[in-house]
Amino acid sequence: MFWQQLVNGLTLGSTYSLVALGYTLIMGVLNIINMAHGEIFMIGAFVGLYLVTYLKVNIFVAMAGAMLASALLGCLMEMLALRPLRRRAVSHLAPLISTIGVSIFLESLALNLFGPQSQAFPTELATVQFELGPIRITLVQIIILGISFGLMFILRFWLAKTRVGKAIRTTAENIETANLLGINTNRIIFLTVALASGLGGVAGVLVGLSFNAVEPTMGLSMGLKGLAVLILGGMGNITGAMLGGLILGIAEVFTVAYGASSYRDAVAFGMIILILFIRPQGLFGKRQGGRF
Amino acid sequence: MAILLNQYYLQIAVFVMVNAILGVSIYLTLSTGQLSLGNAGFMSIGAYTCAILTVKAGLPVYLAIPLGGVAASFISIIIGFPALRLTGIYLAIATLGFGEVVRVIVLNLKITNGALGISGIPTLGTKIGKILSSFGMSKFGGFSAQQVSTLLVLVILLLVLAFLIFFCIRLNRSRVGRAFAAIKADESAAEAMGINTTYYKLLAFALGALIAGIAGGLSAHLTFFIGPKDFAYHRTVEILLYAVLGGSDLVIGPIVGALILTLLPEVLRSASNYRLMIYGALLVTMMAFRPQGLISEETVRYWKGKLGRGSKQ
Repeated sequence: MFWQQLVNGLTLGSTYSLVALGYTLIMGVLNIINMAHGEIFMIGAFVGLYLVTYLKVNIFVAMAGAMLASALLGCLMEMLALRPLRRRAVSHLAPLISTIGVSIFLESLALNLFGPQSQAFPTELATVQFELGPIRITLVQIIILGISFGLMFILRFWLAKTRVGKAIRTTAENIETANLLGINTNRIIFLTVALASGLGGVAGVLVGLSFNAVEPTMGLSMGLKGLAVLILGGMGNITGAMLGGLILGIAEVFTVAYGASSYRDAVAFGMIILILFIRPQGLFGKRQGGRF
Repeated sequence: MAILLNQYYLQIAVFVMVNAILGVSIYLTLSTGQLSLGNAGFMSIGAYTCAILTVKAGLPVYLAIPLGGVAASFISIIIGFPALRLTGIYLAIATLGFGEVVRVIVLNLKITNGALGISGIPTLGTKIGKILSSFGMSKFGGFSAQQVSTLLVLVILLLVLAFLIFFCIRLNRSRVGRAFAAIKADESAAEAMGINTTYYKLLAFALGALIAGIAGGLSAHLTFFIGPKDFAYHRTVEILLYAVLGGSDLVIGPIVGALILTLLPEVLRSASNYRLMIYGALLVTMMAFRPQGLISEETVRYWKGKLGRGSKQ
């Protein structure tokens, strides 16, 4: 029972980590919270679903398609909602409000395009199961764990070692200095937003697979959980986002398994309020707001 | 006149009033430069407290509504202490999270009747109607008793709103209001001047929650039914939009915002499916082109100057 729940928690948590990574990347580079991230995630899930259902493509191709579509959507948001705000000095709340606008726009768009009902992936994948000692793991869970951990480690490595990764970290450290050093910061910002949104899109397909349900309101609840992880792990902290997601996933699964199942959605925010009380910089954050 | 006072128009006017009161609530928290996204949560606490008090405990409405506000404000102080150490974005998220927690709790408690919500709340209109008929007055000129009672409700709401506007204007000229403005302009500078920023931020937060709670109580007693869905994230966004559209420099800004955004969906009934899309686009456009909102201090000064010159000529 315990080990089974742990595996379930890890699977759920790894999708939270993936969503939270999107928030963290944008937070680290642009210093804003992208409230529309949850909705980009939801659109990614729908793109994946439609690719699998209507074009009958392989699930991995669908994930790549979802990633591409969400990345494009992210770029569009950057151009229309964020870039105009950077040109002039506005209050730090302006980008937050602007992305809230994008979020309800996208949610309502999805409601009109796809309808309010929840839709399921064709279910050959969910029925395949493996027995490993005391635990039972489905193929879907293995895919989720593999893809999300794989993406997280690629991202870490890429940020740490490659030229572009270093440019992203420089921009996160100080945007003016990065500009002076000859980094095209506008392009880096574009890239970061695309990357974050792409990760969100993949997470959307993974979550759609694991719950076997894709609906327009999934963005809001997932977005709120990603925010919870962001605070839990510390703003702009990539390790924090990864571990925070896993902690939240495990905490939620255990809450459901050992008692208060209907309070599942309150766990995330109960945790936030607790964390803010004890350690406002997050579990893994430094006082000065550590970056990457 | 009787045509103008049909039930539909009156009802819309009533909603305009409630939303304007909500606009004042977000204005008060914004006046210290804090963005609280928990107003829907506070509204929900007010509405449920009030509805439970009147339906289950049988308390009179005029006591229950202020008590709902007090309950909301009390809870805002409890969560405000940790939350207000945070600034800007952190506070927005913490309060957003708070709203979600309230919604989940309301959904699960027995006393709030879960997802079904509380129905059969005595409406203010019928209460006033009963009082009127107990005086033996069922018709006034050409108006039916229902019209008159709705009209009286409207007058009551108008008085509440007028009092709130008066309160805000007086507040701005007081020591407290100046402290709010100083914190909004620069928090560290305000602290260096000897202003107890935590105290004033908490005060603004609690005042905002009090008014949101009262608005919640009023709305419960206007619509005769409340459910957890009435106070979800979208409600918060709507309240935020009042301040963003109208402007949050002056108290009249969010009120104008509430007026426009309550009337607009009624006029554009045919586009009701796209209402939230329009709201979203509106938020983005306002932030890009006019982040201070439609009405700012400069706007008022400009029009005052223009009208003043006009009258001299």
